[in-house]
Amino acid sequence: MTSNSDETFPPRVLVTKIGLDGHDRGSRIVAAFLRDAGMEVIYTSPWQEIDRVVRLALEEDVDVIGVSSLATDHLLVPKLMVALEDAGLGHVKVVVGGIVPDDDEADLVDAGVSKVFHPGSARDDIVGEVAALAAKARREREQENAS
Amino acid sequence: MKNEAVQLPLPGFDTARAEWRSDYNEQLGDPPNPRNRSGIEVKPLYTLADWDPANYMDDLGFPGQLPMTRGIYATMHRGRSWSQRQLIGLGTPEDYNERLKNLIAHGSNAGSLIPCNSVYRGYDGDEVDPLLLGTCGAVVNTVEDMGICYRDIPIGDFSTALNDPSPFTLLALLLCVAKRRGIPWNKITGTSNQSDYISHFVCNHMFFRLALPGARRVLLDHIVFAQKHVPGWNPLSVVGQHMQQGGATPGEAMGLTLSTAIQYANDCVARGLDPDQFLPRFTFFFDISISFFEEIAKFRAGRRVWQRLVRERFGAQNPKAWRFKFHAQTSGVDLTREQPLNNISRVTVQAMAGIFGGLQSLHTDAYDEVLSVPTEKAARIAVATQEILKEEAHLTNVIDPLGGSYYVETLTNEMEAKILEVIERIDQAGGMFAAVETGLVQSMVGDSALAFQERVESGEETIVGVNKNLVADDDQMAREPLKPPSGEVIEAQLMRLKRFKAERNQEAVTRALDDLARAGESVDENVFGKIVEAADANATHGEICHRLREVYGFGEPLIVP
Amino acid sequence: MTGSISGPAVQEQSLVKRMRAGELGALARVITELERLSKSAPQLLEDMAPFLGQAIVVGFTGPPGAGKSTLVNAYIGRLRAENKTVGVIAVDPSSPISGGAILGDRIRMSEHTGDDGVFIRSLASRGHVGGLSPAAVRIIDAMDASGRDVIIVETVGAGQSNIDVAEIADIRVVLSAPGLGDDIQAMKAGILEIADLLVVNKADLPDAERTYRQLQFALSLRRGGGDTSVVKTVATTGGGVDELAAKIAEIATAASRSPAERRRRRARQLLAWAVTDLIDQRIRKEGGPEVDRLCDEILTAELSPIDAARRLLGT
Ligand SMILES: Nc1nc2c(ncn2[C@@H]2O[C@H](COP(=O)(O)OP(=O)(O)O)[C@@H](O)[C@H]2O)c(=O)[nH]1
Ligand SMILES: [Mg+2]
Repeated sequence: MTSNSDETFPPRVLVTKIGLDGHDRGSRIVAAFLRDAGMEVIYTSPWQEIDRVVRLALEEDVDVIGVSSLATDHLLVPKLMVALEDAGLGHVKVVVGGIVPDDDEADLVDAGVSKVFHPGSARDDIVGEVAALAAKARREREQENAS
Repeated sequence: MKNEAVQLPLPGFDTARAEWRSDYNEQLGDPPNPRNRSGIEVKPLYTLADWDPANYMDDLGFPGQLPMTRGIYATMHRGRSWSQRQLIGLGTPEDYNERLKNLIAHGSNAGSLIPCNSVYRGYDGDEVDPLLLGTCGAVVNTVEDMGICYRDIPIGDFSTALNDPSPFTLLALLLCVAKRRGIPWNKITGTSNQSDYISHFVCNHMFFRLALPGARRVLLDHIVFAQKHVPGWNPLSVVGQHMQQGGATPGEAMGLTLSTAIQYANDCVARGLDPDQFLPRFTFFFDISISFFEEIAKFRAGRRVWQRLVRERFGAQNPKAWRFKFHAQTSGVDLTREQPLNNISRVTVQAMAGIFGGLQSLHTDAYDEVLSVPTEKAARIAVATQEILKEEAHLTNVIDPLGGSYYVETLTNEMEAKILEVIERIDQAGGMFAAVETGLVQSMVGDSALAFQERVESGEETIVGVNKNLVADDDQMAREPLKPPSGEVIEAQLMRLKRFKAERNQEAVTRALDDLARAGESVDENVFGKIVEAADANATHGEICHRLREVYGFGEPLIVP
Repeated sequence: MTGSISGPAVQEQSLVKRMRAGELGALARVITELERLSKSAPQLLEDMAPFLGQAIVVGFTGPPGAGKSTLVNAYIGRLRAENKTVGVIAVDPSSPISGGAILGDRIRMSEHTGDDGVFIRSLASRGHVGGLSPAAVRIIDAMDASGRDVIIVETVGAGQSNIDVAEIADIRVVLSAPGLGDDIQAMKAGILEIADLLVVNKADLPDAERTYRQLQFALSLRRGGGDTSVVKTVATTGGGVDELAAKIAEIATAASRSPAERRRRRARQLLAWAVTDLIDQRIRKEGGPEVDRLCDEILTAELSPIDAARRLLGT
C-alpha cells in the first residue's frame, strides 16, 4: 500500500450560511471559485444552526469553514467559534465573507476568525488565503494528534 | 421591431459613413466591440441604418399609447413625478416610527417598511437569537407593534409599501390597525412589495416562508381579498430585483420577471378572475444596475413586451391592464466598500437610468449600504439625490427624452429580443412554476452571476476602487456607524411581546388559528381573510406563519449549488 | 512517551475502538486516514478487520437530477424508523479541469444532519469513471467497521462503463426519471445490466408512465431481466419509498452472502483497479522492447489489440 502525503488531497471547505439571511449569490460564486482552484467544497442551504455547522465540519472533516453573511448574521460567528472548540475542532479555520462593519470585524478576529473578506475581494486573494489556511489546519491537526 | 437598413436613399449617407469608419479605424484599429451585461454587442456608433425612424409608429407611438415604449401615461413625470420610496426599518417599532417621520420631513412622499430579518423568516422576536433582533429592520410582530410603527401617521392618506412576503401578515396587521382607528379599508393604499414568492424561491430565500403550494394559494387569496376589500391596494408586485441581484443579466431578469407575471396571471385566470380587473393591479419591482443605456432599454423593452403579452395571451381590453407599472431600486450589487462615497455617483447614474426608463417609483440606495445597515446621514443623501435629479437637473421636464436615439432604440429592440428569448425558454419548460421547481431558473441565474464575476476578475468589467484606481482612502470610511438597538431596548421589545401575549384573549387566538388552519386545508375559503381575522384576534406574526407552515410545509427553497 | 513502539498502534487501536463506541469524530477521522492512505491506514485496516462485512451496502445510481439524493434522504428516514443506523457516501463529480468539486448531495439530506444514527460523507469522484474512486471502498469499510447497519452509496451513473457500483454494492438500485432526455438508451447499454432494482422516480410528473414503460421494455430485452422489479417513487414526498425499502430488504435476504464474501467482493474491485492502474502504467509510461514489438504488430495488422493484450499478459 502506497502512502500519500496529505497535501496531494485537495483542501476540503464547508461553504455555509448561518442566521436568518438567505441571499446565496456570494456563497455560490465563492464555492465555484474554490472548486475551480481544485478544492472540494461542501455546500449547504442557508440558515444552518451553529451545532449543525459543527456537525457538518466534523462529519466531512473539513479544513476550512467559509461563512457568508450579507446582513448581520456574522454576529453569531463568535458562538460558532466556541462551539467548534468545544467539539474538538479547534484546528478548523473559519473565514467570513460579506458585509461586515469594521468594528464587528475586529470582534470576529478576536473571537478567532482567521480572515474577513469584504465585497470586492479578488478571487486570487480568496483562493490563496483559503488554501493557506487549509494547509495550516491540516498541520495543526497532525500536531494535535501527535501530541 | 424592425431592424433593416434605411430604405430611403439619403444623399451622401453611405459616403460619409464610410469616411467616418475609415477615420475611426485609422485611429483605433479594429478592436472587437464590447458586450453589455446581457451579452449584446455594443457598436461605437448608431445611425438610422440601425434604427429607422420610419418605424416610429410601430416601435414607439406616444406616451400612454400602444406599444407603450415611451411610457404608460400621457403625462408621465410631467404630470406626476415618481414617488420617492425609501426602504427603512431598524430596531423597534418606535425607531421605525421616528425614522419614518424624519424621512417624510425630508421630502419622502410615501412610506415603506422593512421588517427585521427574523420577521422575514416568519418568526416572532422571542424565537430567534436576540443578537440578531432589530439589526436589519423593524421588529413587528403584533397589532400593537404595527400601531406604534404608524403612530401619528395618517395611514388613510399615505401610501405604504410593505416588504411583506406571503402570507402577508404585515398587511393583515396594518388592516387591523386601520380597523381599530376607524379608517375604512378602501382608504388604504400601497403595495405588497414582496408578494412574488417565486422570486423568493429562486433568489431571495430569506423571504420564502411557505412551501410552494401554500405560497401559491395564499398569494391568490390575498389578490382576491384585496380586490374585494382593499381596492386601493396593489396586492402583487413581481420582483425582478431579486433575479438581477441574484445574478441574472438585465435582459434575463426582465424576461424571468415577465414569465413570472404570466404565471401569476394564469393562476388568477384559473381562479376565475377577470384579467381586465386584476391586471391593472399588477406592479413590478426592478433593480437598476449601473449599465446605463442597457437599463433604459430594459425598461422600455419590458413595457413593450408586457402590453403585448397581456393583450395576446390574456385578451386584456382594459387600457389600464396594458400599463407596466414599476418601482425600481438602485442596485446595491454595484456599490463598493472601497471608497464608499463613490457610491453616491453610482446611485445617481443608476437613478437616472431608472428615470429615463420611465419608472413610477424609486428607491435610491444609501452609499454606505455595502458597509452596514444604512446610516441616517447616508439615507438622507439618497433622498436628496432624487430631489436633485428632479428639481435641479429637471429630468422630469421631458417625457422619454432618449426616445428616438438611434442607439437607445436599437438597444431597446435588441433587449426585447433577449427578453423574448428568455420567455420562450420558460414557456418551453412548462411555465415559470415548473421551471423553478426543476431548478432551471436557479441554474440560469447562478451561471450568469458567475459569468459576471469572471468579467470582473478578468478586468473586462471595471469597478473603480476595486480593480481600478485603487487608493487607500481611509477618510471616506469615516462615518458614524448606525448602532443596532441596545440589549435593553430589545429586552423591552421582548417584554412587550410577552405582555401582549399574556393580556390577550387566548381562547380567541386559539380559535382564530384553528380557523386559519381549517381554511388552509379547505379548497374554497379565503386563507388571507382568515389571516386578517387571526391578526385581529391578536395572534402574532410568528403564530400565523407557524400555523400555515403546519398546513403547507416550511418554505425550503431549492438550492442548486 | 518517547520511543514506545506500541505508541501509535495503541492510539490507532483506540481510534477504531472509539469509532465503534459511537464517537463520530473518530469515524470521521478514520475515514480521512483511509481515504488518504495515510501512514496509519494499514494499522487501521488491520484493527478494523474483525468487524468488516456486517453492513449491507446499497448503491443508488442514475443520471444527475434523477432524484438520487432526494430518494436517499427518504430511504434514510425509512431505515431510521426501523432503528437501523446508516452511513452514506455521497459522490459528486470532480471538475475534469481543476479537479475540484462542489459536493451538494447532502443538501437534500439535511433533515438527518444531527441524528447520530446517520453519518454522511461527501466524496468527489476524482476522475473515476462512474464516480467511484478506490477511496469509496475504504470509506465503506470504515463505516462498516464502525457498526453501521446499512451503507448507502450515491453515484452518478456515467452510462456504458459504469459498473463499479456493481462490484461494491450488495444491492444495486438504478434510478431513472422522466424529463432527462434519452438516458434510457444509455442505461440499456450499461447500468441496466447491473440493476437489482429499478426505480422510476418523479412518478408525480406527467411523463413518468412513459419512462416506466420504456424501462419495462428495455428490461424485456435483457437476458433474465424479467424478474427485475421496477418501483415508482416520488422522492420529494416519500411516495413509494415503503415499497422500495421492502424490495431492498427482500433482495438483501435472498442474496445474503457471508461477511467474508461481501468483503472479498469489495477487495476484488480494489484488486481489479490496482491491476488496471499498474498495467496501464507499465504499458504507457514504461513500454519496453516487448511492448514496442507488439505495438508494431498491431500497426501492421498482424495482431489485433486483444490478441496482443493476451500475449502480453501470457494468458
Ligand atoms: N417532481 C419531483 N421532483 C423530484 C423528485 N425527486 C427529486 N426531485 C427534484 O429533482 C431535483 C434533483 O434531485 P436530486 O435528489 O438532487 O437528484 P440527483 O442529482 O439524482 O441526486 C431536485 O430539484 C429535487 O427536488 C420527485 O419525486 N418528484
Ligand atoms: Mg445527488
